[in-house]
Amino acid sequence: MLLGKSLVFILELLKKKKVSTKEVIDYFLKRIDKYNPKINAYLTLNKTYNSYEKDKLKLPIAIKDNFCTKGIKTTASSKVLENFIPPYESTVTKRLLNGYFYILGKTNLDAWAHGSSTETSDFKATKNPWDLSRSPGGSSGGSAAVVSSYLAPAAIGSETAGSIRQPASWSGVVGLKPTYGRVSRYGLIAMASSLDCPGPLTLTTEDSAFILKIIAGKDKFDATTANWEVPDYVSEIKKRKKFVIGITEEYLKGVDEEIKKSFYQLIDILKKLGHQIKKIKLLSPKYSISVYTIIQRAEVSSNLARYDGIRYGNDRSFFGSEAKRRIILGIQVLASRFFGGSYVKAQKVRTLIIEDFKRVFKEVDLVLAPTTPIAALKLGEFEKYPFFGEIMDVLAEPAAIAGICAINFPFGLTKKESLPIGLQLMGRWFEEENILNLTYQIEKETNFLGVIEKGIRNYPD
Amino acid sequence: MGRKKLSKKDVLHLAKLAGLTLTEDEAIKYKKQLKETISYIENLEELETTKIPPTSHSISITDVFFEDGEKNERLFSLKEVFQNTKNKENNCFKVKKIFE
Repeated sequence: MLLGKSLVFILELLKKKKVSTKEVIDYFLKRIDKYNPKINAYLTLNKTYNSYEKDKLKLPIAIKDNFCTKGIKTTASSKVLENFIPPYESTVTKRLLNGYFYILGKTNLDAWAHGSSTETSDFKATKNPWDLSRSPGGSSGGSAAVVSSYLAPAAIGSETAGSIRQPASWSGVVGLKPTYGRVSRYGLIAMASSLDCPGPLTLTTEDSAFILKIIAGKDKFDATTANWEVPDYVSEIKKRKKFVIGITEEYLKGVDEEIKKSFYQLIDILKKLGHQIKKIKLLSPKYSISVYTIIQRAEVSSNLARYDGIRYGNDRSFFGSEAKRRIILGIQVLASRFFGGSYVKAQKVRTLIIEDFKRVFKEVDLVLAPTTPIAALKLGEFEKYPFFGEIMDVLAEPAAIAGICAINFPFGLTKKESLPIGLQLMGRWFEEENILNLTYQIEKETNFLGVIEKGIRNYPD
Repeated sequence: MGRKKLSKKDVLHLAKLAGLTLTEDEAIKYKKQLKETISYIENLEELETTKIPPTSHSISITDVFFEDGEKNERLFSLKEVFQNTKNKENNCFKVKKIFE
């Protein structure tokens, strides 16, 4: 009865008492027992649900293991934090717990979220539910995998530059990166503080809107959250809005032919729905890779300096290879002796990228592009090239650098390997309601070409 | 972006600054990988930025202060403060001696 049902649908069932909270939680725990050993998406399960609370309505959700959850082990998939039990709750999980939610478990990620494949996890890679020999993407690979195999009806991830949208694309689910400052980072284990954004991974657009409404908004514990009104996203997405949608050649270079085909197929549908398509020019995304690499490494070297093994966690000899490489490069770009001025140069180019989007958003409401240049890669491919993750995230990085909101949704499968194809919509700062609105229209018109349902069919009860 | 060519010795020095211990093999591997990464990010030189101001955050933000006397909701109990450490004595963290 529950298989493949959205969060909002389960909430209705609970409200009508057609199913109890305990039944729902037990249902997912049973599925996790059955399938998680194959997929390795959960690192820790929370089996503390107290049936005495049976009158309380609770929706299960999975949380990426870089959000501090009070009393539940939080590792960031690194051996440095392998036994860390946070004494406090992150704002995102606190808001979810105060709402309708119950944390089912914590999901795997690239260690410290450094990566795009979930393979740099110190607790083994997560497998892509569509093909167990492939990567689910990353760094929120565990969160994407539990949603696409329905081991949770929804999950929370975090994105620095692509870490929600890219795994959502490769695993065939909806993944929203809100505007920087829309959702609090308090209690999110910091990677690159000027870029990190928490966001939902879901089966439907409505679920994404539903979760965003709960987690968004000003937080006195995070000075970078914006004091900006939080609209009722769920009702906003149901308004029939017409948009001017920008498309650009720059985001199609090097993109797989089948993904381009899906992109053009969607354009025809959008025209039919009465939206206007406009060709625009944007800076090449290749510059965003460089800006991201410099800023991210520099902020990583600073943020990871706190792990000294004194107050919590293990000492610095427990860092894995990827973290060490990033810390060293970060110190290098900050040290004038080796690479003077590169951090400031990157911040100046960040200004150019922001100005570029501001100009474009005077002409169009939204920008449509593929999310990734290719579909999911085999496990092991990333290890061969130290820089590969950034290349896989190339189309996701400009929005992250500019801080605008963006959403991935599935749109078709590759023919030969039957892997999900992801497309993305980027929108203006703090206009999540618009990217969600158009994604909802696409979902209603096309059902995302059946991708999400097909993925879940591989994992029967 | 004037710079000095990175040697293995430099990599070991940077690691030391970061409190990391590298093996010889790691230092050689990182030196090669860092070189590849740096040669990629040089493409920023193609963009003219002399008159462009740097951006530290993509949205404008201001500092947040607590009012005097406001309750500190983030205060930990001593038990919480020490729950994750192995190096504790009489409600203090034990660290290595720095001075004799």
